[in-house]
Amino acid sequence: MLRWLVLLRGLGNVVVKELKELLRDPKILIGMIVVPLIMFPILGFAIRGSIESVEERLQMLQIGVVDFDRQSASEDLKAFLQNNLTVTLVSINASDIGEAVRLLQTDTNATDLIIIPSGFTQNISQGNPAYVEIYSVFSGTRGIAEIASSSIVSEYLEFYRRDLAPEPFNTISKSIVKGKPTDVPPSTLFTIMSSQVFVLPTTISILLVFSMQIAATSVASEKEEKTLETLLSLPISRFTILAGKLVGSIIVAAVGAVTIMIGFNYYMGSFMLMGDVGSGPVDLAAIGLAPTPLGYVILGASIFMALLSALALAIIISAFAQDVRGAQSIVGYLYVLIMLPMIIIMFTDFNALPLTAKIILLAVPYSHPMLAAQDIITGNYLAAVSGVIYVGLFTVALLYAASRLFSTEKILTAKLKFRGLKFKRKKIQNSENP
Amino acid sequence: MSFAVEAEDLAKSFGNIKALDGLSFRINPGEIYGLIGPNGAGKTTALRIISTLILPTSGYVKVHDHDVVDEASVVRKLIAYLPEEAGAYKNLSGEEYLRFMASFSLRENGSLEEMVAIAAQISGLGNRLRDKVKTYSKGMKRRLLVARALMTRPKLAVLDEPTSGLDVLHSVHVREIIKQQVKKYDVTVLISSHNMLEVEYLCEKVALINHGKIIAEGTPDKLKIDNDVENLEEAFAKVVGLA
Repeated sequence: MLRWLVLLRGLGNVVVKELKELLRDPKILIGMIVVPLIMFPILGFAIRGSIESVEERLQMLQIGVVDFDRQSASEDLKAFLQNNLTVTLVSINASDIGEAVRLLQTDTNATDLIIIPSGFTQNISQGNPAYVEIYSVFSGTRGIAEIASSSIVSEYLEFYRRDLAPEPFNTISKSIVKGKPTDVPPSTLFTIMSSQVFVLPTTISILLVFSMQIAATSVASEKEEKTLETLLSLPISRFTILAGKLVGSIIVAAVGAVTIMIGFNYYMGSFMLMGDVGSGPVDLAAIGLAPTPLGYVILGASIFMALLSALALAIIISAFAQDVRGAQSIVGYLYVLIMLPMIIIMFTDFNALPLTAKIILLAVPYSHPMLAAQDIITGNYLAAVSGVIYVGLFTVALLYAASRLFSTEKILTAKLKFRGLKFKRKKIQNSENP
Repeated sequence: MSFAVEAEDLAKSFGNIKALDGLSFRINPGEIYGLIGPNGAGKTTALRIISTLILPTSGYVKVHDHDVVDEASVVRKLIAYLPEEAGAYKNLSGEEYLRFMASFSLRENGSLEEMVAIAAQISGLGNRLRDKVKTYSKGMKRRLLVARALMTRPKLAVLDEPTSGLDVLHSVHVREIIKQQVKKYDVTVLISSHNMLEVEYLCEKVALINHGKIIAEGTPDKLKIDNDVENLEEAFAKVVGLA
């Protein structure tokens, strides 16, 4: 019994010591408690804003309808949709599907088009197979909202079909990509493109995090191994030392960017081989959803620029640490700037975000390669190039700050101080020793 | 007459802490000069200022008439600095490390091969120079670093606690190296140490430093005679009023 008590008391002492050590370390305090407390509300705010805006957009949604039949059954169907759909039905007068798609995109805000083919009423009355086509505009940037509207339309058509038992017609889902109708269902496109939406941001994030660790370690290990002072006293310019560290990290980063491009190209190409039930292989290049060589170059530039800025930032921040462990902890705080955009871009529709969230997301340089991944598929090269320029300017400013830091004694004497915590402790000491 | 080092009214503050408080001294060319004092006296701060790593809050230092602040890049060509707890790149071999360091030195001080040969001789590490630095003992690493500082035949070698953490045998070896190299290549040496016996053995002139100020200066013999003591340790204790 006594033995157990001694053991427990020993355990208690060790636990108390551990808690004191851990909770008094500002790095752990901030990383474990403060960051999650800030990060998750921001994330929740962004996702909630995005969902609310998707819901609002669905309520304001317009759906185009082209009636090539103009008989009783098609009129009944339109009347049913008009009365039951919560969205606005817009009639489009067109002679063929091509014209209908063009008018849909020029004259309406609709993202879906219902085509009632000629002979619809006749087929139903004679008991022949009849069908209705639903074309959905595929943008590649709306995330989950991409298929929300087409789902609503399909659902209402399903209600109507059940009203007229036994199932008088079928619905066929198709897509409109970059203004051109295609037979690929939106759900198939969504499956392919959404996995791309997950894969690329994740890979970019891993690459950024990995490179930051390398750069932070390269400065901190000079401090830890006590080689920095010797290096700085050599007849070599401080800028050369900084440039040497950057170039070393850039080579690693460039290899990383190229590897991503090769892997991504292979990934996108693999869908050429993928058979899809009922619709055959999906050729993304033929329907305009595969990036062009220019697109790859822009994406590569965007990833490279973001990497360069991440490296410069990591070098500056790690200069404030005394050893490798400290540098990695400090750089760890920067991961919020990578992880937050990654999660927001993966799970929400950028265009549907509240304006403030959009501004914040665009201000973070590490959002840009992830947004560029979407831009090059939708062909919005201007946005991607603007992102590259923005991150480029940010990087130049960082490099300037880094070269200033290297040219002063701060590189040796800088330490991250937690003044607030120190102040609090001082006050406690004073109250203990009045 | 031109001095190898001329420090005048040097002050350095880190926040509220005054590391140096009006430090002045002069070193003649070819001299081995020792700054001695207890831990925290300001020795390392003074050496770091002279080595162009940190800036003085006030006062100035000139190395062979070149200001360490305004002409830092010129001064760096004249000096070799050995920090107290210096390390070497652990994944490089001793030879690779010496080559890397020699590659920044002026060619007029000898070719890269010559410098590495000198360093090999000074360090006495022989074939072990081909091994990675991480396999070296503390003593071997320090010998490598001392050799690195002296191989370039600098006009001024600034050595901060050159035998720091070494056992008696390694310390003796390092001291011998310093003495020999100074005679051979006419190098001026500024040494800091809290080991006063070491300084007494090595230095022609010493300055006792406490609280960032020089409290006595002269040859070791003069300091001992002036204070009527047996060695520099006793002289220091007497000067600061502890004995």
